[in-house]
Amino acid sequence: MKTKHLRAIGLLVVTGLFVIAWAFPILWSVLNSLKNERDVLAYPPKFFFEPTFAAYRDVIFGPQSILPNLWSSFVISAGTTVLTMLIAIPAAYALARLRVPGSRWAGFYVLATQMLPPVGIIIPYFLILRNIGWMDTYQGIILIYLSFSLPFAIWLMVSYFEDIPFEMEEAAAVDGASRLTTLRRIILPQVQGGIAVTVVFVFLNAWNEFLFAVVLSGNTVRPVTIAMFNFVSVEQTLWTQLAAVSVLAMLPVVILGIIAQKHIVKGLTVGAVKGGGRR
Amino acid sequence: MNFITDRRRFLAGAAAGATALAMPAYIRRAGAQAADLAPYQSANIDWKQASGQQITVAVIPAAYFDNLAAITPQFEALTGISVRYEKIPPAQIRQKCVLDFTSGTGTYATHAADPMYYNLYHSNGWVEALDRFVEDPAKTDAKWFALDDVVPAWREANSVDGSLLGLPYDGEVTLQVMRKDLYEAKGLKPAATLDEFASNAAALHDPNNRVWGAALRGVAGAGQNVYIYSSLFRAFGGEWFQDGKLVVNGPEAEQALTWYVDTMRSYAPAAAQNWNWPDIADAFSQGTIATYVDAHSSASVINNPEKSTVVGKIAYERWPEGPSGKRVSSIWNWGMPINAKLSDEAKTATWLFIQWAASAETQARTSYRFDGPAKRSGVNRLSLWRDPEYVKTVSAFGDNFVEATLASLENDTDVNWRPRAPQWPAIGDTLATAIQAALAGQATVKAALDDAQARIAPMMR
Repeated sequence: MKTKHLRAIGLLVVTGLFVIAWAFPILWSVLNSLKNERDVLAYPPKFFFEPTFAAYRDVIFGPQSILPNLWSSFVISAGTTVLTMLIAIPAAYALARLRVPGSRWAGFYVLATQMLPPVGIIIPYFLILRNIGWMDTYQGIILIYLSFSLPFAIWLMVSYFEDIPFEMEEAAAVDGASRLTTLRRIILPQVQGGIAVTVVFVFLNAWNEFLFAVVLSGNTVRPVTIAMFNFVSVEQTLWTQLAAVSVLAMLPVVILGIIAQKHIVKGLTVGAVKGGGRR
Repeated sequence: MNFITDRRRFLAGAAAGATALAMPAYIRRAGAQAADLAPYQSANIDWKQASGQQITVAVIPAAYFDNLAAITPQFEALTGISVRYEKIPPAQIRQKCVLDFTSGTGTYATHAADPMYYNLYHSNGWVEALDRFVEDPAKTDAKWFALDDVVPAWREANSVDGSLLGLPYDGEVTLQVMRKDLYEAKGLKPAATLDEFASNAAALHDPNNRVWGAALRGVAGAGQNVYIYSSLFRAFGGEWFQDGKLVVNGPEAEQALTWYVDTMRSYAPAAAQNWNWPDIADAFSQGTIATYVDAHSSASVINNPEKSTVVGKIAYERWPEGPSGKRVSSIWNWGMPINAKLSDEAKTATWLFIQWAASAETQARTSYRFDGPAKRSGVNRLSLWRDPEYVKTVSAFGDNFVEATLASLENDTDVNWRPRAPQWPAIGDTLATAIQAALAGQATVKAALDDAQARIAPMMR
């Protein structure tokens, strides 16, 4: 009995250490955002100090307010996510279920686009957007983001569709349901968890993207990942403001994660009846 | 009745609120209109000759460009040209502008350009030679603009084959920065030579009390560890080109890199291997570094009372002399070139903008006469460095700041500080990796330099 308790305590301590190590950078950012510049640089590091919200005030209301940048990031990420899911769901379903000649190759082709290094395709993208006049526009950046979020989303969704027993669809067909009705009424509710996971990942990727954004955006559309660099100038790093921006930039993703969590857990546990696979 | 008074009060409040919100913009615009344009109008050129043009200027996030942007409405009122700024992080501005050049889109009329990139720009015909604008009396009033007054080494750094490709807006020199109190306590004098620098560092080195003798930029990068190494290489008497060939592994190179590695290992905090200069300035501000050598512009950071604990205890001196008898400071400046893809009218507009930004009047208005907290110290004019009002402003940075900076600007800048070649971006990265390998002890000095030479040779063919 005693050893069992000890083992449990040991496990808790180890888990606790992992959690602290994992959460430390986030905790440190939050602490730094509440310090003044001198306390950030202080040695030994200060864990107890008089908190100030000056950095938040500066980055929200100051001349370099990041609110427009957060808005840019939100529009880009939400736009990319919605469009991606609208296309990826039917595409993934088709890849998983329909017997179309060459569908396996189509699947591979979709994946192949992911193998190109982003730097290698940035120049053609730059030229395309430039020529159609879509540089520094929401539609331009969302279009480019679609090109790498779609393959990812399709492949993720395919695996969820494949996990659903084919018999369910056959039963629905016997009852006279059309393919579309089956998808809407029978299949989609089953893959809710998968959709939630995909949405979170697509949103996250778009939210965190830097390389394409720095080249394809400008003054009109300026996501927060780029605007953050205003606090790392060649002269100095404004640590407290940088930390405050990081915290603000983290928030929407954290909120999305919390909302999606319920569905994600459901998605992980729902596969009680596994087996189905590609037809 | 109540509703009506409340409504009136609400409307009055809303109107007052809206006015208050709009006020700063209004004042700014009024300020631009009312700003005295006479000093510019005294130039014998037609500032309105490209009126109606719109230009985009790419800059890096830095207070000195913020100051320029803040007074740009004055330029717009003077010329009728509208200017749009785009802020791009320093590492990406090079990529983005090269992309703009290679695709020939002409997006950026001008940008904050790295002096090391002019050879690349020139060999591809991406930028316009500025001479034809400088020499055209319709576009430049030579007497008013006084090109000779612009720091000669920076102008030379921005020239290739004798033609001027970019005019410096803001620049820097490298200085010794010292903790006056620590030096005085030990009876030390600022180092005149690299040997003295090392012996001072040894005397001040006291890591048990969290004071390290010295720190130099260590992190790998063409603008980081190569920045320090290049000065050392030249001070040890190194020549980048021998018989037209780029040689990076000669005996001077070995001596210079050995000095760098020894100094860093013996007197710098271990982490400094991964430090860039803002990190050094931060550590110095916390009182943990006795001396460092870096850009004079770090003075504004280490003198910021909100950040620094050593304000009032700082002194400056020129780069120590190397064994060759030379002191080699940097020729770094953010210059402005003209994109060759622009239309003739847009080129004229861009030239007027560059002329305005680099003029003595704008340099003064963005530095000591700037109506804001950040007074910049990288002005491009020798006359300004002698202007009593400017000197008074920047002297606040510490003992000997103006004297050391001016002497370096006039004597220590070496235009062949780094190998000037179109292949620079790749050369710089290769050198940076080699220096890092030596600093980190992953390779001997000789092996690191030989490896760099082997990699660089094919690039130069």
